[in-house]
Amino acid sequence: MNLIGISINHRTSSIEQREAVHLSIEEQQQFISLLKNNLLKEGFVLSTCNRTEIFGIPKNHQVHQNLLFNELVTFKNVENLKFENVESYDSENALRHIAKVASGIDSLIIGDSQILSQCKESFRLSVDEDFSNTTTRKLFDVAVRIGKRAIKETLISQGAVTVSYAAIQVIEKIFANLDKKEALIIGAGETSELAAIHLNSRNIGKITITNRTEEKAGKLAKKVSGLTIKFEDFKKHLHKFDIIISATSSKDFIVSYEEIKSAIHLRKGTPIFIMDIAIPRDIDPKVKNIDNVFYNDIDSLNIIVDQNLQKRKHEIPKVQNIINEEIDGFYSWYNTLGIVPTIKSLRSFFESIELDELNKIKNKVSDEDFMKLEEMTKRLVGRILHNPTKKLRELAENNDELDKTNIHTSVLNFLFDLDDFSSNGKKEIE
Amino acid sequence: MIDTIHSVNIILPLLYFSTFCIYLYDFIKDESKVHNAKRIFLFITLSLHILYLILRTIEFNHPPITNKFEIFTVLAFCLGFSYFLLELLTDIRGTGSFIIFFSLIFQLISTIFISDLIEVKEVLRNKLLGIHVVSALGGYSGFTIAAVYGMLFFMLYKDIKFNRYGLIFKRLPSLEILEKLNFYSVVIGFILLTISMLIGFIWLPIAFPDISYLDPKLISVSIVWLVFGIGILTKLIAKWYGKKVILFSLIGFVIAILSLLVSSVFAESFHSFY
Repeated sequence: MNLIGISINHRTSSIEQREAVHLSIEEQQQFISLLKNNLLKEGFVLSTCNRTEIFGIPKNHQVHQNLLFNELVTFKNVENLKFENVESYDSENALRHIAKVASGIDSLIIGDSQILSQCKESFRLSVDEDFSNTTTRKLFDVAVRIGKRAIKETLISQGAVTVSYAAIQVIEKIFANLDKKEALIIGAGETSELAAIHLNSRNIGKITITNRTEEKAGKLAKKVSGLTIKFEDFKKHLHKFDIIISATSSKDFIVSYEEIKSAIHLRKGTPIFIMDIAIPRDIDPKVKNIDNVFYNDIDSLNIIVDQNLQKRKHEIPKVQNIINEEIDGFYSWYNTLGIVPTIKSLRSFFESIELDELNKIKNKVSDEDFMKLEEMTKRLVGRILHNPTKKLRELAENNDELDKTNIHTSVLNFLFDLDDFSSNGKKEIE
Repeated sequence: MIDTIHSVNIILPLLYFSTFCIYLYDFIKDESKVHNAKRIFLFITLSLHILYLILRTIEFNHPPITNKFEIFTVLAFCLGFSYFLLELLTDIRGTGSFIIFFSLIFQLISTIFISDLIEVKEVLRNKLLGIHVVSALGGYSGFTIAAVYGMLFFMLYKDIKFNRYGLIFKRLPSLEILEKLNFYSVVIGFILLTISMLIGFIWLPIAFPDISYLDPKLISVSIVWLVFGIGILTKLIAKWYGKKVILFSLIGFVIAILSLLVSSVFAESFHSFY
């Protein structure tokens, strides 16, 4: 299979290099048009924050992976990237790599569920830009099916693999109905925002944001449909919150042991989940000794993340099996492409004989009889060709019988002189 | 019929064991294949168990409450059935193995030691006594289930507190749910025990004119009733939550078991029929 490709990913390059070759949707459209004009007949371009992939069927034998690389670095005007920072693939290796990417086992975070939708998006773009044909479309179908099967049939995407999601997992082991709980987010930076968004996605009852700069708190509150509270006042209301997440850049503790102790007393023992994701920490870690206070910092939540990553790693062989199955299926289909012209020519050959013989008797029989004869000859040709066509397809679908398929195709071509006989029946029958 | 009763008596612990194994397997592996199978297994076990109790009642002409080992088989059924109801009502399926284990133990002891008792004291054939005993057993089943949920609550509480994210963390429902299940079980147990005590107060003076209200069994049951009653009130009125309430139910359970042992084994009581 004449498929080639290059991959610039987290294994081969630094984040700066990956950023340099990242292609926006508009850039992908422009780049696809360049590839179409210069290098590839069909293919696709995938560009995410962790990888840029260019795959396709070359226009001629002179097109190699280094030309794809040169086209990309020229297009993006990149200087800090060398061909050593690229993984090159061809034929089955290329196919397997695409399958691995779509299934998430090639991602920086194994089992990343976003990659499948990103693949789908780039396949759609290839179709929209008229950069795909029969082979690549089939390739897209297979890759998407592998991605879907990996999610459905294995645990490759199961479990939290980020600190924020891990925190949600712990929260859900403490509280039953999150829609009745109140959360306080201390800080309004990037980490706080991520935590607030995760909580919001779990339909938490109420989110309140507090930050030294009120404006920032307001902006974040708007994003997650939450409320704000003045930074100077939030400690008076600590007891009202079931979940406290803190991620400020303060150098000292901003919530003390005594303050949490007093909050839990006011709550009559109703638990508080505290997640301190600030470095240095915002909340005195001694609070973990207070009854009904569940304190977690980055280290403790990383235990969950590591466990889940290990579990995902154990699922890789299962995903590999799915990839093997689907690639076998793809090759079965791909091999039949070689016999299609022979089958078409064979059918045309027989149909032209049929037509020729019918024409000879057309004026010698009644219209009614002619119709009967026409039907009968069609059936006859169909029945004669049924077995050879079926057997040839079966042979072609079996990946181990490629040589046999070629021999049978050659014999058919030789016996019926199909080499000179096009599938549209141009050659005259003598 | 007697042969059927004997056969079912042997089959029952095997069925409880199989059900326990399926629940345990599901707890460890969490495979969707057995999610429904385990409930069907429990249903079949309980159906056969109720048939067994009915057959015994018909064959021996008295409810199966006339000796310790008959009581044990009723207790095994009550525990299993109470859990089955809880699972149906709450759809929380991860805790079955912890409760069915108790059913298995009670049924196993019963199967080994139970005898075909045809001749019993006339007082033991009384229908009110039947309701009295069954509701008391239901009450104790409720307290046992509450204790199991209480223990699970503490195990999960400790695991979260000390950042241990093992099987208990993964499979058990949230602390809030365990606390609710514990409380519901206590309430149901308390109501059934109250019914049992009320029937006792009505029926006992009729059956036993020389009844003493200082009987050790009556006193111990009253203490158990009081402990659980206070526990419920602290939750409802003082709005206590979590560990404190759970602790009440565990203390109540320990007192219940100890008082039953002490009053049944060591103290003289009119309340002993066998």
